[in-house]
Amino acid sequence: MQALRNIWFLALSTCTEGIRHRTLWAVVCLASLLTMANLGVTTLYSWDLGKVSVEFGLSAVAFTGLLLIFFLGMKILADDLERSRIFMLLSRPVSTWQYLTGKFLGLAMILLLATIILGLSAALSMRYVLWLYAAFVPPNFSWLTCIMALACQWLSLVVVLALSVLCFSFAKQPFVALLLAVCSYLVGQNMELLRRVVVENPQAGALAGQEQLVIALSWIFPNLSLFDKKYEAAYGMAFSGQEFVLLCLYAISYSALLLYLATLLFRHKEIA
Amino acid sequence: MTIPAIEITGLSKSFGSDHKKNQALTDLSIVIQPGEVFGFLGPNGAGKSTTIKLLLHFLKPDSGSLRILGHTVGQDEFRHRIGYLSEFPFFYDHLTARETLLLSGRLSGMTRQAIDQRLPMLLEHMSLTEAADRRVGGFSKGMKQRLGMANALVHDPEVLIFDEPMSGLDPVGRHQIKGLIAELKQEGKTIFFSSHILSDIETLCNRIGIIHKGVLLYSGGLRDFLVAGVGLEESFVRIIEEANRASFA
Repeated sequence: MQALRNIWFLALSTCTEGIRHRTLWAVVCLASLLTMANLGVTTLYSWDLGKVSVEFGLSAVAFTGLLLIFFLGMKILADDLERSRIFMLLSRPVSTWQYLTGKFLGLAMILLLATIILGLSAALSMRYVLWLYAAFVPPNFSWLTCIMALACQWLSLVVVLALSVLCFSFAKQPFVALLLAVCSYLVGQNMELLRRVVVENPQAGALAGQEQLVIALSWIFPNLSLFDKKYEAAYGMAFSGQEFVLLCLYAISYSALLLYLATLLFRHKEIA
Repeated sequence: MTIPAIEITGLSKSFGSDHKKNQALTDLSIVIQPGEVFGFLGPNGAGKSTTIKLLLHFLKPDSGSLRILGHTVGQDEFRHRIGYLSEFPFFYDHLTARETLLLSGRLSGMTRQAIDQRLPMLLEHMSLTEAADRRVGGFSKGMKQRLGMANALVHDPEVLIFDEPMSGLDPVGRHQIKGLIAELKQEGKTIFFSSHILSDIETLCNRIGIIHKGVLLYSGGLRDFLVAGVGLEESFVRIIEEANRASFA
């Protein structure tokens, strides 16, 4: 019970620290402006205005989330080590897994808050565009699908956050952790595409004949493209609740596994 | 027989790989009884902070054992019974002093009610009452040190470990912290603190340990260490110089 309490207190303090951080609000302001730019960008197109608006709005949320993870989340984690704040926490009855899980949940809460704010801002701009150009509203367009797509976006960010925590747990320099996290994100985003190209195409260039290796890698790296539901939201395509639940389970189990690995690696780290 | 508050036996620690190995501590053994104030002295880079980090299990020893209140460091959970102040206490800049202490208290297993009862007294004692609801990022070095002290004491621990508690403080700040350590001594707390400010050690400690280049040169009563008619500073310099000569010979 005390373990859960410790995680909660750590998460709450991380979230409070993050929310009061100027970086968060700078990024959120930038993203709100970006979402509002939706109005301008959409009018540059002469067809599929509704689709452009929805995709642009959701992309702005995803982009902001990544900025928050790489520049705010990883800064908070790195500062704990570099400025020896971690001593204040680990000199108490707090274990490594509680520390990492607390930090992870606190940052995930910040991401959730940012996603809600940006989602609302994107929804406003989308609503305006769809009202202005009613002829371009996709048939079967549904706000519920948009909200589910937004939730998937957040789940994808949570997985990237867990990846960042893993990189932080073993990298000796925060910059190396940041670099590894960005690379893992890029791989995760494109892994499924690469797997399909190699498996379905016997003449896949340099990777021809490396199907097993690519399949193995696709099992190791997260499949972030699964969470990308912008297309479905933009075209008002069906998006089943069952698929959504499976995505939630995938994100939770993959993140839990990464946190477990991070704990194992962090235990071997000497905090000097 | 009383269980020692802190018991370090045959402790060794090195950093780096085989070719660039830096031996930080060699076969260090110290026993500190409950209620003692033990001053851990040594020049910069002697191994004082490394010993403290090993005691708190931030570092892992190459060999030797560490026990606090009879519990083996790294195996048993006893951290709710110790209070730690680091040389440069850093906190979350955007949390207030009250929130910082609340977090530490909760992580030490205290109830919200117990913390609420203890905080006003602690803040008052550290002259932080007026700054309690200000964000720590705006605190001066002295205020951070006092907050660090409050943070170490919030859960009323039996054993206190202070790493250079007076470092970087102005005379008023030093006087305050010194007064506080003297009060804690009167309350019967066990205090292990490292310092190279010899006058503070002379006023506060029952026993001292002197470490140089990772080797313990002396451990025992303060009075036994002082050569008749010579102050702590001179005795300290003499023992360090002797150790240097012996290592060159």
